[in-house]
Amino acid sequence: MLKNYIKLALKVMLRKKYYTILSLAGIGFTIMIITVFATFIDQVIGENSAEPERNRTLILDKVSVYNQGKKEDGFPSIHFLKKYVSDLESTEVISFITNKSYISFSKGKPTGHYLVYTDEHFWEITDFEFLEGRSFNRKEVENGDRVLIINKRTREHFFGDQAATGKELRVYGEKFKVIGVVTSGAAFSRVNADMILPYSMDKNLQGLEGPIQGSYSAMLLARSDNPKQVRSELRAKMRLLTNKISGADSLKAYAFTPLEQFAKSSSFTDQEPEYGKTAISFFIILLLFMLIPAISLINLNLSRIGERAEEIGVRKSFGATSATLVGQLVVENVILTLVGGIIGLALAAYATGLLVHIINTFDPLFKMPADSFIINWRVLALSIFSCLVFGLLSGVYPAWKMSKLNPVYALKGGQNHD
Amino acid sequence: MIQLINIEKIYRTKTIETIALNKVNLQINKGEFVAIMGPSGCGKSTLLNIIGLLDSPTAGSISIDGQEVSSFSNRKLAAFRNFKLGFIFQSFHLINDLSVLDNVELPLLYRSGVSGAERKKKALEALEKVGLSTRTKHYPSQLSGGQRQRVAIARAIVGSPEVILADEPTGNLDSVMGEEVMNIMLELNKTDGTTIIMVTHDDNMANKTERIIRFFDGQQVN
Repeated sequence: MLKNYIKLALKVMLRKKYYTILSLAGIGFTIMIITVFATFIDQVIGENSAEPERNRTLILDKVSVYNQGKKEDGFPSIHFLKKYVSDLESTEVISFITNKSYISFSKGKPTGHYLVYTDEHFWEITDFEFLEGRSFNRKEVENGDRVLIINKRTREHFFGDQAATGKELRVYGEKFKVIGVVTSGAAFSRVNADMILPYSMDKNLQGLEGPIQGSYSAMLLARSDNPKQVRSELRAKMRLLTNKISGADSLKAYAFTPLEQFAKSSSFTDQEPEYGKTAISFFIILLLFMLIPAISLINLNLSRIGERAEEIGVRKSFGATSATLVGQLVVENVILTLVGGIIGLALAAYATGLLVHIINTFDPLFKMPADSFIINWRVLALSIFSCLVFGLLSGVYPAWKMSKLNPVYALKGGQNHD
Repeated sequence: MIQLINIEKIYRTKTIETIALNKVNLQINKGEFVAIMGPSGCGKSTLLNIIGLLDSPTAGSISIDGQEVSSFSNRKLAAFRNFKLGFIFQSFHLINDLSVLDNVELPLLYRSGVSGAERKKKALEALEKVGLSTRTKHYPSQLSGGQRQRVAIARAIVGSPEVILADEPTGNLDSVMGEEVMNIMLELNKTDGTTIIMVTHDDNMANKTERIIRFFDGQQVN
């Protein structure tokens, strides 16, 4: 029966080309926007080849200091992280990280580079693919060796097609030796950088670092898949510090995975994220976004009831129930939306490239790579899911209305209902 | 056997009440070929729609094979139509987007447990009966009026219904084509014992049936 429905759906689509083009354009545009939005969210929260453990990697990037009734938020300092956070039992490993930027000049032309200052544990939490060379080690970090890792794009920028390992690069006027080249990380990720250097080479380290607050974050790799345990231990640890550090009556440290950060209702609290609430909100936004094009499609479908009335009458005469007809018409609509979805995905692939181009036009110094937005299987699944929701949303009511046609009037091409 | 007792059908609007059928009592036996005749608007098609369970009477009861069908749910009515009844319409009512074979298979789509292969086999057999087995892949728009009506007959008989309801089946055909269609229906009645109730304006066609029931102003007159 499904084969029959699909065959008929395609025939109906080809029969009314104007209607089909109009419908597909609306669906395609909607799915394109959803897909582009989804690629962005996926880059922010999803696991990727460079960050396979993203769901159990917590980023501790805020410490609140409460002192004499006042609250001060800021990044933690390395001193604070080393002294009070690095020995958490619920974490496997901890890495210090800060993001900076640097502008190089080549033949008088400026180019922006994203920098990450970090330690040797960074390479245990991430899984960057090394195209050449190696990562830096503890000794190099402690010694303050002038070594750095660059990504493929940076190698191409400075060295063209040649290997970069062993060559020198100037960063903030100081010479660094390239010891490795990695593939790029996900755009919008904290670990994505053009150059990765030992934090001991961070010039601002001394000036910005205090006993509690500073300019660093910590990446905490949880032992289990339950990041709550880390937070719980962290809270307990912070409670123990109450009235123990000068200048701080009490402390709060905030550590969440990227997904948790996204799922939290507010970034100003250290409360647990509410996934259910976020998922529902996300779904409602998705529905609202699809509602207007869906209503248009509902209207188009309703206006075509008369056109299909005779067919409905025939099918009812030969034993089709209203439920069967609803099923058939919804399947037809879902097929239409899936075709629209494929067009939407193709448009999204083009639109993401265009978006990068537009962003790069406005920010020519720090150019984003062309493949910053990736349509992976997760995005694809969301797009297909959106198509199905869209198909149901726009198909059920017209289908129900059509199925209720009185067969006698339907056979006459009329519209009286049962 | 089909039995209609005191069937009334009244169409009401805000200002007008039209009596389409007025206390019709009728019995049609199994295997009969009956023609219903009468002037336009006398209620013939309304009667056929009521017997075909496509429309419900305002009053009265209708039973088919001893089953009182007036109280059936929509789902049960649909199943009853699917298994027991076959329809042939004056304007064929084929689905233009479907091939001849798909059109004929249609009633079997709504029968659970019939596989695709079985559907195809039965549809081919029905098309064979009406002499159209070479046109399975054609579309209705590629056929003549007579051929379309033969496809419609194949669709009506594919599910082996006990009753065929034909609403002016030769009305849109020339005399030769009409004769052909009539012969097929006579053959079905004779060989398969299918009960056929045919609404017609054509005396020649009606005279070929076993019984003619005449209607005037919503009432049976013979």
